[in-house]
Amino acid sequence: METLLEVNGLTKAYPGFTLDHVSFAVPKGAIVGLVGANGAGKSTTIKAMLGLVNPDEGSASFWGQSLAQAPACKEEIGVVFDGLNFYQTLTPAQVGRILRAAYRRWDDALYKEYIQRFALPLDKEIRQLSKGMKAKLGIAAALAHRPRLLILDEATSGLDPVMRDDLLDVFLDFVQDEEHGILMSSHISSDLEKAADYIALIHEGRCLFTRPKDELRYRWGVVRCGAALFGRIDPAEMLAWRRETCQYDVLVPDKEAFQRRHKDAVVDSATIDDILLLYVKGERAQ
Amino acid sequence: MKALLLKDLYNIGHNARSMLVVLLFLAIAIVPTSGPVAYMVMCGVLCAMMIVTTFTFDEASGWTAYALILPVRRSRLVLAKYAALAVFCTVGILFGLAAGSLGDYLTSDGPGMAAAPLEAAAGALVGWAVAFAMGGTAIPLVFRFGAEKARILIVAAFVVPAALVIGLGGLLQAAGVTELTEQTLIALLCASPLAALAWGAAMYRVACAVFARQEC
Repeated sequence: METLLEVNGLTKAYPGFTLDHVSFAVPKGAIVGLVGANGAGKSTTIKAMLGLVNPDEGSASFWGQSLAQAPACKEEIGVVFDGLNFYQTLTPAQVGRILRAAYRRWDDALYKEYIQRFALPLDKEIRQLSKGMKAKLGIAAALAHRPRLLILDEATSGLDPVMRDDLLDVFLDFVQDEEHGILMSSHISSDLEKAADYIALIHEGRCLFTRPKDELRYRWGVVRCGAALFGRIDPAEMLAWRRETCQYDVLVPDKEAFQRRHKDAVVDSATIDDILLLYVKGERAQ
Repeated sequence: MKALLLKDLYNIGHNARSMLVVLLFLAIAIVPTSGPVAYMVMCGVLCAMMIVTTFTFDEASGWTAYALILPVRRSRLVLAKYAALAVFCTVGILFGLAAGSLGDYLTSDGPGMAAAPLEAAAGALVGWAVAFAMGGTAIPLVFRFGAEKARILIVAAFVVPAALVIGLGGLLQAAGVTELTEQTLIALLCASPLAALAWGAAMYRVACAVFARQEC
């Protein structure tokens, strides 16, 4: 599997928080969703990858090269942070002119095409744009130099479902090209359920797993059971569990195998929210 | 670097109107009392301080993190700030020269500064040098402490160049140059922008060292 981005053991210690040996990869033609609660370390991971913070250990390589050694790789990367990083008195037209001077491969026609597609006014100041319009402008700016890798840090947070859906369509279009890929950090699980091919779960600075989304959706399951059944479950069958008011929720890695062994058990498909909640708020099995 | 300079010019362009009004008010207050040269220097210094305002805009919008993902090196980000400073100083001095000359012509009995073009040119050179040196000292301070905290420390940016000039005067006195000849004075005045550029180069290195360690 060819990768666009490979993160190996990224570690960064702050007082009270440590990003602890985070590793994952973004393959070609795929969207990888970086999921985790607020403060889990998603943004720190992205910043460490991009060299905005200096990692204590580990590395991130883009097409096999680190950004420090090959800054030209930045031409191939588009980044959208949460919120637009241009001062509020600038206009989309001015943003285009600034970025045209920054990127060798900037495509003015493509930028204007996105501006038109997103119904953004070219000469209106950013402060007059809605949050959704600002997010769309950020995405237009990130795409118009024809990057191969898009990195989105909570780019759709705070937007209404219609607006988020529009943007997810843009991302899905983008990965139609097999040379492209997206790393998408979000705590909005429905976006990731729709768009992501792989899910990497980050919790308290550690990457707990990276799995194909379909494995999580179709193979993993959540067992809702009472104390009697819970007592009979072999810990090796569980990934995590949580005691609710009058039942146990148990995350299992193979719901069909579990169902075969426990015919009376109620096993639901696991959503990303279920998985996140069980890992974050529940107990993890060995 | 063009992108970075363009961004600062667009950002600050929005403040141009209010700055113009401030400078015109100052022209009314300063030209009749302290003369057009003092006014020109003041215009240069005020415009140089707009470089700190560009950092305020950058901080408010989270620009620095974004700039670091553009295909530019960190040192270019610093260099672009010095380039913007040079533009601000030049615009300030040229505006001061024009508005100061006009004010002087309107308020003085004689021909005013137009009769002394050499004095005006010398004032412009020195004014540019003072403004650039002050702004150039402010840049590493802002990179290190941020625009808001650095505003207090920027007083240092005024004191340091002033102390250097006074120190230079002391050296000249110690060397026996008690009264400057016209030739020496012209040489010193012409050299002042070069001295300011040399000072700016030193401050640029300091700013690069500060910014290299900074995390966004």
